[in-house]
Amino acid sequence: MSGPDRSPQHPMDLTASVRQLLRRTIEAYADSPQAAGWLQHHLDRFGEPLRVAIAGKVKAGKSTLLNALVGEQIAPTDAGECTRVVTWYQDAPSPKVRMFPRNGPPRPLTITRHRGALSFDLQGVPVEQVDRLLVDWPSQSLRTTNLIDTPGIGSLSADTSARASAFLTPDDSPSPADAVVYLMRHLHAGDVRFLEAFHDRGVARATPVNTIAVLSRADEIGVGRLDALTSARRIARRYRGDEKLRGLCQTVVAVAGLLAESARTMRQDEFTALSELAALPRADVESMLLSADRFGRTELDRPDGDTRVALLERFGLFGVRLGTTLIRQGVTDSSALTAELIRRSGLDELRTVLANQFAERRDLLKSRSALLAIDLVLTREPRPSAAPLRAEVERILAGAHEFVELRTLSALRGGAVTFSPDAAEDAERLLGGDGGSPAARLGLAPGTEPGDLHAAAREALSRWKRRAESPLTGRSSADAARVVVRSCEGILATSAPYR
Amino acid sequence: MAVPEAVELVDIALKATTAYERPDLATRLQQTRARLSDPNVRVLVVGEFKQGKSQLVNALVNATVCPVDDDIATAVPTLVRHGDETTVTLVREGGGSDERTPVPVERLAEHVSEAGNPGNRARLTRAEVTLPRKLLSSGLVLVDTPGVGGLGSAHGAATMSALPTADAVVLVSDASQEYSAPELEFLRAAMKLCPNVGCVVTKTDLYPHWRRIVELDEGHLHDAGIDARVIPVSSALRLHAALTQDMDLITESGFQELVGFLLRKVVARADDLDRTSVGQDVLITCRALSATMRAELISQEDPERAERLAGDLEEAKTRVDALRQRSARWQTTLNDGIADLIADIDYDLRDRLRTVSREAEQLLDDADPADIWDQFAEWFHRQVSQAVAQNFVWTTERSRWLAEQVAEHFAEAIDVQLPELRIAGGAVAGKVDSLEMPVGEKFGAGQKLFVGMRGGYGGMLMLGLASTVAGFALLNPVSIGAGLLFGAKTVRDERKRLVQRRQAEAKGAVRKHIDEATFQVGKDSRDNLRQIQRELRDHFTMLAEELSTALAESVVAAQSALRTDADRQKRIADLNAELERVESLAERARSLAGAVASP
Repeated sequence: MSGPDRSPQHPMDLTASVRQLLRRTIEAYADSPQAAGWLQHHLDRFGEPLRVAIAGKVKAGKSTLLNALVGEQIAPTDAGECTRVVTWYQDAPSPKVRMFPRNGPPRPLTITRHRGALSFDLQGVPVEQVDRLLVDWPSQSLRTTNLIDTPGIGSLSADTSARASAFLTPDDSPSPADAVVYLMRHLHAGDVRFLEAFHDRGVARATPVNTIAVLSRADEIGVGRLDALTSARRIARRYRGDEKLRGLCQTVVAVAGLLAESARTMRQDEFTALSELAALPRADVESMLLSADRFGRTELDRPDGDTRVALLERFGLFGVRLGTTLIRQGVTDSSALTAELIRRSGLDELRTVLANQFAERRDLLKSRSALLAIDLVLTREPRPSAAPLRAEVERILAGAHEFVELRTLSALRGGAVTFSPDAAEDAERLLGGDGGSPAARLGLAPGTEPGDLHAAAREALSRWKRRAESPLTGRSSADAARVVVRSCEGILATSAPYR
Repeated sequence: MAVPEAVELVDIALKATTAYERPDLATRLQQTRARLSDPNVRVLVVGEFKQGKSQLVNALVNATVCPVDDDIATAVPTLVRHGDETTVTLVREGGGSDERTPVPVERLAEHVSEAGNPGNRARLTRAEVTLPRKLLSSGLVLVDTPGVGGLGSAHGAATMSALPTADAVVLVSDASQEYSAPELEFLRAAMKLCPNVGCVVTKTDLYPHWRRIVELDEGHLHDAGIDARVIPVSSALRLHAALTQDMDLITESGFQELVGFLLRKVVARADDLDRTSVGQDVLITCRALSATMRAELISQEDPERAERLAGDLEEAKTRVDALRQRSARWQTTLNDGIADLIADIDYDLRDRLRTVSREAEQLLDDADPADIWDQFAEWFHRQVSQAVAQNFVWTTERSRWLAEQVAEHFAEAIDVQLPELRIAGGAVAGKVDSLEMPVGEKFGAGQKLFVGMRGGYGGMLMLGLASTVAGFALLNPVSIGAGLLFGAKTVRDERKRLVQRRQAEAKGAVRKHIDEATFQVGKDSRDNLRQIQRELRDHFTMLAEELSTALAESVVAAQSALRTDADRQKRIADLNAELERVESLAERARSLAGAVASP
């Protein structure tokens, strides 16, 4: 792989050299407007927030999860199939929606609100003519990440599916999204087929490092029982250990999207209604909650029927059940209930994973996208003057330890390199599989004393040196072990020993 | 239970054949009788993973027989039928004899769910559960199947091949979302194999919007041209209602409609089929009996005409005998039809598999097989099973159509030549119908294909691919970790050569596998079509023989005119009385068959 004498590059250096390479390539291709435009686009993209696409089968709860992440009901949701056009959400000072037709200039759309949620009117333009919608929305949550809502895969309108696939895995170019959150309901042949599609097209993009999977609508797996999420978490854990999925995504998290969305946007009147329900005799509430129909129909003054129907719509049977139980157990104010519901919905866990896997690696993923773009241009329009550029691409690829780490992580997860299960877990963590900070790499709690970090890193280093040098280690495993050794050295370089 | 009046009628007709010394007519009636003694009406409960199929079966029989779990799915089909006691038997088919192991009820989950028996490692064919339940006593047999996971999956193919022998299919989909493309694709294919379909939307207790979903589903069915009812149910409410005996809950659960569908549209339909075919079988017997008597009657009443009648009958017999010759039109239709069918099906299979092969080679051209082999092998398998399943659907459809053609030509020939012994076209069609819906496993065309596919494609070929994978030079140390991210760029020429070699080897494996699949599946479907050909030929030849014997008897009867007037008058009176009796039997047969058409 790379020479052991070179010291690990800092991500900033990597970003800088990739940017510079982008500029040089643009100069070299100044006479080709198409190539230059394409590269300029990638250079611009560098400064933009990370693009995370939310993908998955139809009705997996993509828009709901997007709303939960943003904390507002901005993506339209419905009982039937809803999202039919790829929609981008980005932070901006004022709300605005623009439609990008396939042919022709972008057009502004008017925003209308329907029962709290946004809805867009395409002004009679057929969906197949629309390339994408771009929604500007002032939101803290969108500041570092652009979220992209995609139409469902496996949709009945074959065309909607095709649009989703074309967006996520275009045949001839690197994906416009830097990372993907793939929503799946209970594991289904179609799901894995899609994940395969994401990785198989062309060797270059084949990496599980920019995908995480979410077991969505987690409350429904246990048919709305109070312990439904425990069950869902168990399933997510099983998936995490599943050979096939390990090779396809970073990790699997269970999230009850509807609960998370509604909890983040809970209103005072909803809390009041839940409290009133909790005050009723328990047997009465349980009998009402036997079915959605009953809950809306039962004769009861407070909360009245309409309120209950609205409550059910927002929280689902599971949410109402959990909410009333929590209030009965002593949660007294709405902010405490919100926090508890969010925690139980699994959203916190998802946000942590997103921060660790994507936000931390933002520059790395962006650099990767950019290098892919350069490589594509060099391959499509080869010219003699570009030869040094190609050498530079190779140099960055081979030299940047971050890429080597990513590659080794992929190999480990894909099963191309094998260690004993314990050692594999250790290696993945040290390579940054659970997060890039020294503490995360060493499996220690955040805020651990630098001295302890140093000692742990030293220990890990000698452990992996032994493994790398052992004559019993196979060649490929030894290569991977040497990569881990370099990661350990990197950790040591940033942490101070005991004084 | 089989329709009692049908059984009774066949018994009377059998007695009549003994009384009139016509054992030649008894054979077919005995077969009818045997068919009636197997009263099972099989309903397959199918659907994607985790839609609540097992829970639906449990709620229907109001017992926790099929294991239900948030996570673990069903791996083995479970057949629930009536029995005086609750029993569970595991069945492992193989090599001609079935291995049957009784197990305690509470241990069923260990054997049929993915947890205890992952991927059906224990190679069970099915589990059979008997329960003392009124609903099942009508002969209803519910089959809980593993989730299909799309038409191309192994479960999908297995379910598909079990469909032709089912009386009805219940497609289960939960109220969380409208039908997805794979579900509708499956339903469309299933309709061709078993047209009696009910669509159940489960878990209506959990989803406030279930009415919308039902509406959307109905719309999708309508758009797809599928004529099936959508029945929304809640298994949880039904089970809860069984505990509390709350009538409102039972109504809300929607199960009354589902049970109504099963009893009226499925069990009753199977019973109707029994009635029609039994009525017509008996009618044919009656006509054969009365034809002989009438021939004698005519010659007794008018001895002058006896000679001429005998001559006509003799001629008719020659013509009926000609029907047994290989040159008869129906025989030509059958033989040519089967030959064409074999060629077409074979072509279709080759064509489909060739397409798969082309796509596979394209995929292998685009990547290093070492990187994608696992995923590729799975994709490839799915494509092959999908091709085989589609080919199977088409085979079934075409062979049914052929059987109808043959029946029609046979009926036409008889109509033209024997107006007075006219066999209603429906009679033959009735028999063909019973071929369509084999009550019992006698007409095992579909069943054979099932076994054929399991043993042929599922069994041997899976092994075949496994061994090609094993022998594959994949674990080339140079390739490890390569190409997963940017590795492709650092590929040296020598590595390029290695990749090319791997690509060539992978393509070789693909071609070899396609070859074997074509050979094995082709042979299976050829054998099956030959089997269908034999069944049809034997059936119609027997009918022709019966007719011929009946005519021979009639000739003898026509020539047996008595000498003295007194004897003759007495014989005429006897014959009239006998004819009346036969006629009353025929009347009963007609009313049995007619009872179906009128309400």
